[in-house]
Amino acid sequence: MSSWPSNPKYISGSVKRVDAPAKVTGRARYASDIQAPGWLYGMILRSKWPSAKILSVNLDKALKVPGIKAAVAVRDAPFNVRFYGEEIAAVAGTSKQACLDALRAIEVKADVSKDFVVHESDAIKEDSPRVWEDSANAGAPRAHNKGDAESAFSECAAVIEGFYTTPVLIHNPMETHGSTVSWTDEGVTSWASTQGISSVQDGLAGALQLDRSRVRVLTDFMGGGFGSKFGPGAEGVLAARLSQQAKAPVRLMLTRFDQNLAVGNRPSSFQKIKMGATSDGKLHAFQIENYGTAGIGAGGDSGGGGGGANIPSPYLYKVPNYRVSQTSVAVNAGSSRAFRAPGHPPASYGMECAMDDLAVKLGMDPLEFRLLNDSSEIRQREYKTGAEKFGWKEKYQKPGSSPGVIKTGIGCAGAAWPGGRGASYTTGEAQINPDGSVEFRLGVQDIGTGTKTVIAVVAAEMLGLTPEQITVKVGDTNFPPGPGSGGSTTCPSVSPVVYDICANALQQLQAKSGLPDARGDNWFPACKKLGVTPLKVSGQWQEGLASGPAYGVQFAEVDVDTETGLVTAKKIVAVHDCGLIIDRLTLASTINGGVIMGMGYALYEERVMDSLSGVVLNPNFETYKVSGISDMPDIEVVLINMPERGVVGIGEPATVPTAGAIANAVANAIGVRVYSLPITPAKVLAALGKVPAPVPS
Amino acid sequence: MNAFEYATALSPDSARSLVGNQGAYLAGGNDLLGLLKDYLINADILVNIKSLPGLNKIEPGRRHWTLGTLVTIAEIEDNAGLAQAFPGLHDAAMEIASPQIRNVATVGGNLAQHSRCWYFRHRDTVCLKRGGDLCYARESDNRYHSLFTGNTCISPVVSSLATTFAALDATAIVLRNGKETPMKMDALYHRAWENPLAHNSLDPGDLILRVEIPTSRRSSAYMQVSDKHAFDWALVSCAAAADVVDGKLAHPRVALGSISPVPHQVEAANQFLNGKTLDDETASAAADMILKEARPLEHNAYKVPMAHALIRRTLLKLKG
Amino acid sequence: MKKPEEEKFGIVSRREFIKGLGVTAISTVAAQTAAVAQELEKANAEKVIGPGAVPVTLSVNGQNLQLQLEPRVTLLDALRNYSSLTGAKEGCDRAACGACTVLMDGRPIYSCQKLAIEAQGHQITTVEGLAANGNLSPVQQAFIDKDALQCGYCTPGFIMSVTALLQKNPRPTLAETKHACSGNLCRCGTQPHILQAVFQAAGVSMADKTEVIKHV
Repeated sequence: MSSWPSNPKYISGSVKRVDAPAKVTGRARYASDIQAPGWLYGMILRSKWPSAKILSVNLDKALKVPGIKAAVAVRDAPFNVRFYGEEIAAVAGTSKQACLDALRAIEVKADVSKDFVVHESDAIKEDSPRVWEDSANAGAPRAHNKGDAESAFSECAAVIEGFYTTPVLIHNPMETHGSTVSWTDEGVTSWASTQGISSVQDGLAGALQLDRSRVRVLTDFMGGGFGSKFGPGAEGVLAARLSQQAKAPVRLMLTRFDQNLAVGNRPSSFQKIKMGATSDGKLHAFQIENYGTAGIGAGGDSGGGGGGANIPSPYLYKVPNYRVSQTSVAVNAGSSRAFRAPGHPPASYGMECAMDDLAVKLGMDPLEFRLLNDSSEIRQREYKTGAEKFGWKEKYQKPGSSPGVIKTGIGCAGAAWPGGRGASYTTGEAQINPDGSVEFRLGVQDIGTGTKTVIAVVAAEMLGLTPEQITVKVGDTNFPPGPGSGGSTTCPSVSPVVYDICANALQQLQAKSGLPDARGDNWFPACKKLGVTPLKVSGQWQEGLASGPAYGVQFAEVDVDTETGLVTAKKIVAVHDCGLIIDRLTLASTINGGVIMGMGYALYEERVMDSLSGVVLNPNFETYKVSGISDMPDIEVVLINMPERGVVGIGEPATVPTAGAIANAVANAIGVRVYSLPITPAKVLAALGKVPAPVPS
Repeated sequence: MNAFEYATALSPDSARSLVGNQGAYLAGGNDLLGLLKDYLINADILVNIKSLPGLNKIEPGRRHWTLGTLVTIAEIEDNAGLAQAFPGLHDAAMEIASPQIRNVATVGGNLAQHSRCWYFRHRDTVCLKRGGDLCYARESDNRYHSLFTGNTCISPVVSSLATTFAALDATAIVLRNGKETPMKMDALYHRAWENPLAHNSLDPGDLILRVEIPTSRRSSAYMQVSDKHAFDWALVSCAAAADVVDGKLAHPRVALGSISPVPHQVEAANQFLNGKTLDDETASAAADMILKEARPLEHNAYKVPMAHALIRRTLLKLKG
Repeated sequence: MKKPEEEKFGIVSRREFIKGLGVTAISTVAAQTAAVAQELEKANAEKVIGPGAVPVTLSVNGQNLQLQLEPRVTLLDALRNYSSLTGAKEGCDRAACGACTVLMDGRPIYSCQKLAIEAQGHQITTVEGLAANGNLSPVQQAFIDKDALQCGYCTPGFIMSVTALLQKNPRPTLAETKHACSGNLCRCGTQPHILQAVFQAAGVSMADKTEVIKHV
């Protein structure tokens, strides 16, 4: 079995991101920067109704707007729309201004007499309007049980009950969804902002009924996805159809408004948890009834993939007796998509809050309580390491006992991520030129996690070169295929492939050059022996070089102003195991990013649906609140280096425990639980019993 | 954003002529372009007023300081003399939006900005303020809305300068029909108190020329609470100003933002505070008076304790 | 499209007013410098232009861009879609995210909420204009060294904000740095590394916040 070099020069070091110079100079061309010759601007008309039957879509006037070259309806009327913001038509023209005018010239006739429902708690009621005519909004509960929870509760020394809720989150990558598509007789080329060039290729080929070989997808740079950018989306298909009609490339990037309506979200959760432990502090019984919405998807699945609103439960801890029941509830709102660690952040939040509440009831230190009940050796180690670094023992006070108006509190929580192992079908190739230059080509994409850098680091290590001497090309479906960037799989997918390419290259170079070892100083002499023919080497994913799952724990310290309700996250210590570290610098970035996204989940973010109008009320960065630099805590990252495990992905586990840790810190500070995310000043003041009743008007 | 004509005015009179009845003045543009992009308003012409002479100055004076309407928020923030004379104004400016906005946003624009109510700002909820027949917020999600109003619309004034100017008893000088018309903050927003369609008392074509801030209150303070720590609208803001003589407040004024269509002021509370030495109890009693008539709705009642805390804290800052 | 004939004006008819001015149109194609552009603006003052495309001259990174733009075209739109300067990014088009940040006369602004026509006569600097003769600026270098970027889409905007900060305040405190960067959002969560980059560019050392512990 293959194994990684034992005394690496670059692996586990701090190599600077190889594409950073392009990004800091503006040279990097993102999907939204592509200016194909003769390109047109594209825009989408969306439903302004949460539920309607579209009777007709008349594009005539839009096509007469000066500069407009194409206009298409998503399908032939009549058709139904089931959420505010669903696509109706699209236009392409020589300028954004032309498109704006054309959108307003499209005439849509609709029957808007249908009722709608946008809140889970309303949709779950039997007399609620139905999102889908032929099925109830609430899917059949998915249940799994173990032991006898009912009678086990009576054996517990302490039992808590809580209704822990989490909102729908919107991915909001800084670059919106979209692409430039050119459809000519030769086929389709899509410069896409995507996490999966292969899945976009598949999606376009399917939707446009083209051979896969006639669709090429290119992604040099893309501005974030977090799970929401795997397929071409309606916008990608519309761009292709517009291109076909206009006979010109069409760049169709969503507006921020669009982005908040129709391209995915994290499902909500409403977790009614009952949990009990015996007097020795061992979890004994657990019960959860959870429902949440994945948007228009009904019956437990999301329309956009990603498993609906179900969460892994009971999370992390082995409980001998449990009863789990979960329901996914359809509402008239955009469908969910995978969102960084699908299912885990809400699962961690609910379970870890219940853990703290139960520890308090037992009179135990919440960390001790976890150590008693967590069977993962790695997490045990992480808790102990983190607690020391964080100063848990010195800082821990009984809930609510922090003095003064501004109270300090601490909390912790754990994570597991079953993935991170890498995709065994990943392949790649390298072209080694007689002048010693070498180019690696993998059909993956770098979504900001440093994939190009990982390839350069591994290649440099294996070939005895410097990372700067490695040319890395990704983001092209003409390259050997690899997986989409999701599930923390990219790093553990590509690293073994690059390892294999290099091993094969060295073997072949040795054979061709006669030099015993083509690495390092021998590299250039060996390559020279190739004569005039470059050497093309391919590689496969290798067992033993990557593994999973990944574990992590985080500690949080917060200040809570008990008069204004404002929570300030002061410090986060994030302890994560990531197997063999490839690049410490980009790894730390990924973990920081997970923590910060988790903090947004805890304190700021929430999609707000309006029950009166059915619209998303906050489809912008003004009221969909994303953590800013002034909200930043001091984040310390502790990496447990375990090279013997091989490469382990880290993107998801880093964001899983943050919200639970922060929520527990808030409860520890003020002595009462805020049961609902995000923990806004309004909710803190309410939990403290300071909010008066409304005055009837 | 619909197409529009464009002109640069060199005098207030020509600006007025150019803007006509369907045009809009363009200064910083933050609010205006947002409104136009979302088709919340239409303008057939934008008249750039940034070249109007003499309106971009911060001028100290014995009786009052003058801020030209084109003075940017960043210029207020960076002006050391102003910070010394009116620390509350400096603190208010610092918390407005972001550096990029403060660099272009003007005094006049901040005062004249439209409601940030998320129904008013949503292109597909035509609410009372947009000429519709329903205040959505009143019936639905009113977490960011007013505790006080004189009409059916419950969108609050969000200009932190207005709140601060109210506490400082400043006067806006408005060019109306060719005449300079002085308006205190209550007058500048009074129409929004009465009329759901109004954001302030300005008529079409009215142009704020400058703001005059009396120097008679040498102590001032401003505080706000938002969901986030920066670049977020205030949930509640509070400004207080007074002269502190021998530890006693002289002609104190307190004003709150984001809880009423006008900067919320209660004259009885100002009178109660006059001549008092500030302590927790006095400040708390004043807060009670200021919030007594509050009519919290389903989702905004948290603003009552939040405002109470802010009033106390802002008043206590006047001590120093 | 609206019909000009239908317009009604208060006080004075705008068109009569303009006729009275008698300003002659100047061909902007001839405009070569920002000074000329300024002169032009003055000459065009009080002259009603648009709503169709009009000549606009922008001074960007020390070079003149001559464009034909409707008055409603924003500076960001002009840079990204009417020329090839795509360094400034569109993140929200509503002055809320900072990806479009450019410097106007040295001060950071949101180019998405500034009309291109208004930017005439001002010096605009975009991220493409920071590296002099191919040498990265200290801020750009610090962003690379500290890995102050992930997907990189917000990076040009942050770099412009930080560049302006350090020009005004070469040794900012942590609080001042946060204050100066509060108008830029990053969804990948690079803020801790951005703070480190700012301090490196300011010549101040900051503790490494990452620790690697060997598994025993």
